[in-house]
Formats: sequence, structure tokens, C-alpha cells
Amino acid sequence: MTQFGRTDLPEEQAVALRKAVRIEVFTICYTAVTIAVVALVLGNSQAMKTAWIEDIFSLTPQIAFLVALIFVRRKPTKRFPFGLHRAMGVAHLVAGVALIVVGANLAFEATTGLIAGDHPTIGTIQLFGETVWLGWLMIAVMAVIAIGPPFYGRYKLKLAKKLHNKLLFADADMASADWQTNAASIVGVMGIGLGFWWLDSAAALFISLGIIWDGWKNTKAAVLDLMDTRATTYDQKNAHPLIGDINELLGSLAWVESSAVRMRDQGQVFHVEAYVIPRRGRVKLSRIEDAERAIADLDWKVQDVSLIVVSEIPVEADARTST
Amino acid sequence: MSLLRAGVVVGTLLLAVTGCSAVPTDPDGTLDRVSDGVMHVGVSPDDGLIQIAGDSVSGPEVELVEGFAETVNARVEWTVGGEEHLVWQLGEGDLDLIVGGITDQTPWVDSAGVTRSYPSIPGAEGRNIVMLVPLGENRFLGELERFLDAEVGK
Repeated sequence: MTQFGRTDLPEEQAVALRKAVRIEVFTICYTAVTIAVVALVLGNSQAMKTAWIEDIFSLTPQIAFLVALIFVRRKPTKRFPFGLHRAMGVAHLVAGVALIVVGANLAFEATTGLIAGDHPTIGTIQLFGETVWLGWLMIAVMAVIAIGPPFYGRYKLKLAKKLHNKLLFADADMASADWQTNAASIVGVMGIGLGFWWLDSAAALFISLGIIWDGWKNTKAAVLDLMDTRATTYDQKNAHPLIGDINELLGSLAWVESSAVRMRDQGQVFHVEAYVIPRRGRVKLSRIEDAERAIADLDWKVQDVSLIVVSEIPVEADARTST
Repeated sequence: MSLLRAGVVVGTLLLAVTGCSAVPTDPDGTLDRVSDGVMHVGVSPDDGLIQIAGDSVSGPEVELVEGFAETVNARVEWTVGGEEHLVWQLGEGDLDLIVGGITDQTPWVDSAGVTRSYPSIPGAEGRNIVMLVPLGENRFLGELERFLDAEVGK
């Protein structure tokens, strides 16, 4: 029978999910180390401080992903008849809003620093008996820790595609752009070193605008799904091709005169309502059930399928002709 | 993207190699101005570190400042005052340096550049003594710390 809100995964996706968990845990460890190291050389640079706080908040998507996963795996119950897939969307929204708030706060600090004409002070430290300008150390640290994220970002992107997971996609997207933060903070510190004090606040502003932009993208994506927008591809660029595939499949059945699909994204899986006008105004129950099973067999993401027999296709649903 | 990243790395390395001696600089040129000239130093009394008697100031911290001034061939002009007024003068550009038994717990961190702390200054009695410089005058600050490291570093 139709199984609502799939909580198990086919082999390929199960493997990808295990990999995703492992890379997220690894990322959290890696980021924890970079947060600790950057804290040691933080100094008075606003750009460094902003990059550091961004580092801390870049943990939210990973933590959100791992926490949401606990809920997503639970089977649907009477109380939660659609399962708990929305946990992923809720986590996504929380991460997005957190980024916007923090980014706005940092942008405000950077702007007031720029207007007030703050001259950031960076002194020296003693390193192996030598007195070294702390700025050199900041630059070295930021350059070294920029190496990791592009690699695991690309890896996560592949997994996000396979798992159709938008939170993982957002995480991968942010990791791929992370080097810009490091580059900006290096520019800021270099500016201080060369006497262009404003470059530090400017770099901080650039980084914080990046954080706000990340937050905005995430919040928008999360809200769209929570508002039941038509299901899209993982990068939210196009309507999901499965909508067309399902209509195609229904159209090929001899008893179907016309069909339309209403499909929403619950996080990792879709919820499908297919509307069908039967050819002679009547249809056997077994045919409906067969059709539901055939749709579920199309893809692992569509397991929660309801086929509804109607006399008129609702205009909001995606009809066969429109795809 | 990776090209840009490589550019940043190479650029940084180049700057590091060629610019080591020129970085950091003072945006307001404090070190250049005091070198072979006058260093305006604000001073507040402190039991162990600074004694003030009429026009003359003395004590371990005073000696350190005189020693630092010597390395850049500067003559020290002392301004005695309360800390808040001195910090205000530092912000106005009337002073280049403030001493007076100030510790690393100083509340002036937003108004002045603070050196690392030097607890082994004679008379400090374990207090983490710092000196205040104008905000962002990083070359001046660096040279001062280099001097203090050599004189009273651990």
C-alpha cells in the first residue's frame, strides 16, 4: 500500500546520506579548530572579527542538518500524518534568519566604524623570541584555513544533488564562497598594515554583506518550501521535472482522459496529489491503486502519493499540457 | 575563482617579502614625526613606577620611555595629568604616548592603542603594565613593543 512520507531511503541515497553525515561532522570539527585558531590572532581588526563570527555562524547549517535528520527519520504517526520531513525546512529557516540577524549586526558595526574613522590597532607578539607584527600571523592563518572549504563544499554539492537536500545545498554553496571571506579579511589586515585604516572596516562590511546575502538566500528558500511552493530542483531554479514525468505517466494510461499534479517539497521527499479525469466518467479502484504505485516507482522522492478522481482539473495544478 | 585565490596568496607573499620592513605603517606618521624630534608623553603618578616632583618625573617607567626615545633619537616632553585628560589629548594628537602604571585591565581600550603587558618592569609588583599609544599607529606601537620586549620582556 501507499506509504506516507517515506523515511527509508534506497541504497544509493542511504550511502550518500551516511557520507553527508560524516562530512558534516568533519566540517564541524574543522570549523571548531579554525574558530579556536582565529581567536588566538583576532586582535583589533574588525574584518578579522567579522570573519571569525561568520566562521562561528557557518556552523548553523551543519548543526541544523544533523538535528533535523533525527526527526526526518521518524515514521509518520497519527499526530504527524505527513511524517516529520518539515524539520529540515524549519532548521533551514532558523539557520537563514540567524545569518541575517548576525550579518546585519556586523554590517552595522562595520559601517559605524567606517563613519567614525576607527583606526584599528594591531600590535606585535613574541614568536620564538622574535617580535612579529600580529597582522602577518592573521594573514597566514586566514590563508591556511581558506584551503579546506572549497574541497568539502564541492563534495557536499554532489551529495546535496543526490539527496535532493536544500539545506545541504545551501551549506555547500556557503562553503564554496568561504574563501572570499578569508580573502577579504586578508585585504583588511593588509590595509591596516599599509596604513589604509578604512580598508579594515570596508572588508568587514563586505564580509557582513556576504553573510546577509547567505541568510537571505537561505531564508527565502526555506520559506518558499514551507509555504508549499511548487516543488523545484534542489537549487530552486526550475520546477521539478518529476511533475512532468508524473503527468506523462498518467497520460499514457488508457483510462485517463486528462491529468494534473500538485506537488510540494517536504524537505527530502515530495508530497504528490495527482488529479485525474477518467475517460468514461468512472474508474476501477484497482486502476487508481496501480497508478499510485506506478508513480511511487518513478522515483524514491515520491512515495506519498494521493490520486484523486475529479470531473474538472483544478486550475492551480500543473496540467499535462503546461509542462 | 582558484585563479583569484592564487592571486591573493601570491600577492600576499610578495608583500610579505618586499614589504616586511615597511609594514605596518602609521597612518598618521607618529614614528616618523618623533624620530629626530620631540616625543610628547603623558604621565600620571604611580606608587612604584612613576614619581612626580614639581617639574621632574622619575621612576622605572620613565626610564623605559627615555630609553625608547633614545632609540629613535627623540627628546621627551612630559605632560603631567589625570588619565582621562591625557587619553583625550592622545586622541587629539597632542600626545604620542601615555604611561602611569596602567594595567591590561585599562578601560581605555576603545580610545587608545594598548601595548602588550610587561609585568617584569621593576616596581610593577606583578601588575600587567601597559602603555597607551594613539589608535592605529601600528608602526610606533610595534617599535615600542620591540623595545620593551628587549628591555623588560620575559
